[in-house]
Amino acid sequence: MKHDYLDKYSGLDSVLRRLDPRTKIFAFFSAIVIIVSEPKGELFPFIFYSVALGSLIMAGRIPLKFVLSRCLIASPFILMAALLLPLSLLFSGPIKSDVFSVNMAALSGSILLKAYSALILVVLLTSTDKFHRLLKGLRSLGMPSVLGAMSALMYRYIFILNDERLRTNRARESRTPGRLKISRFKVLGHQAAMIFLRSWDRAHTVYQSMLSRGFDGSFPEFEGLAFHRRDLVFIIGFFIIMSVIRIYA
Amino acid sequence: MHIADGIIATEIAIAADVFSAGVLFIFGKKIPTDDVPKMGLMAAALFVISLVHFPIAGTSMHLGLFGLAGILLGWGAFPVIFIALLFQSLIFQHGGLMSLGLNAVNMGAGAVAGYLIWKMCGFPEKVRAFLAGFFGILIAAFLMALEFQLSGYGKGIFYILYAYVLVAGIEGVLTASVIGFFRRVDPAIFKK
Repeated sequence: MKHDYLDKYSGLDSVLRRLDPRTKIFAFFSAIVIIVSEPKGELFPFIFYSVALGSLIMAGRIPLKFVLSRCLIASPFILMAALLLPLSLLFSGPIKSDVFSVNMAALSGSILLKAYSALILVVLLTSTDKFHRLLKGLRSLGMPSVLGAMSALMYRYIFILNDERLRTNRARESRTPGRLKISRFKVLGHQAAMIFLRSWDRAHTVYQSMLSRGFDGSFPEFEGLAFHRRDLVFIIGFFIIMSVIRIYA
Repeated sequence: MHIADGIIATEIAIAADVFSAGVLFIFGKKIPTDDVPKMGLMAAALFVISLVHFPIAGTSMHLGLFGLAGILLGWGAFPVIFIALLFQSLIFQHGGLMSLGLNAVNMGAGAVAGYLIWKMCGFPEKVRAFLAGFFGILIAAFLMALEFQLSGYGKGIFYILYAYVLVAGIEGVLTASVIGFFRRVDPAIFKK
């Protein structure tokens, strides 16, 4: 796994990049709550939300192609949920006349728009700050210390483990070339188990090394988080804009 | 199975977030510090193993391994699944940030069910592992369908469970295969 997959554009200098990660976590999470609380079937406010999100993408200097590619990854889940609405109502009993009506299209449309808007906010969050700073921000916002330590360790382990996955993939492909057929459950199960056991040993070694270097469960931080006036201005301004759209649009 | 934001009714999503936060708070107090590295590794392992995709019926499927998480971690599977889901949401946009509590409740319930089956059933080990994997997925899918129905999707949504029976069967076979491999190669893993 390439390390920059996690936060590919987070190194770019931009207005959003200069904000404290806690500011972005708080502001973007609030925006997600505001957007998804829009009444079902409402489409008009999303014109304004898309302008606000477009402005944020520009302010973050995130390439639109990158944002769209990330949206594409999550599309199967979102499209399925939007399609399931008319289908499930269709199978819920006698066919109702409004199942495929304009009203139903608006309902499905609002599901799509809410989901993609929230998704773009998450992409913006992870693309405008380093992943370890976001985790630090979450810990600073009150994430239980055990979970904070667990997530910090997980962040260190996933690269080791993913390398193991790629190694076992190569081994499997060299022994059983061609596409993995569903009938070869045993191969797949053994691969998963092998990844786990190898990773366990590898991560255990890493952890022992950390302990031998004086790791005591806390993570020394060279770069602390700092809340500036611009963070306060951003939170208040962004919250007002989103609330105005939510209430008046 | 990863529910995105804006799909389930806001009240249900917030209630699940509050419930998850409560459970995590309790676990946060109870988890011994020595277990944290093990759980961090387990979260990373679940995350990485879920990246192993394989073809099925013209599409691809990935492993969930909620049952396996339950077998290896017991009740502690919930915080591990929560952290793994947080990373999946932030890195791959699999599941929304506000729906994190919902997804954790669904999949955590699957893991806990897997643990209870593993502990309480008197069947041979491989059968218990299969059932843990099978019901781990099916219970998570059932809760997901229930949340969709409560959000106005109608009772027809429960037909989706038929599709998940196949997925659960595959997951059950794979869980049994993984457990069998552990037993042969490194049985001490069950005590770690």
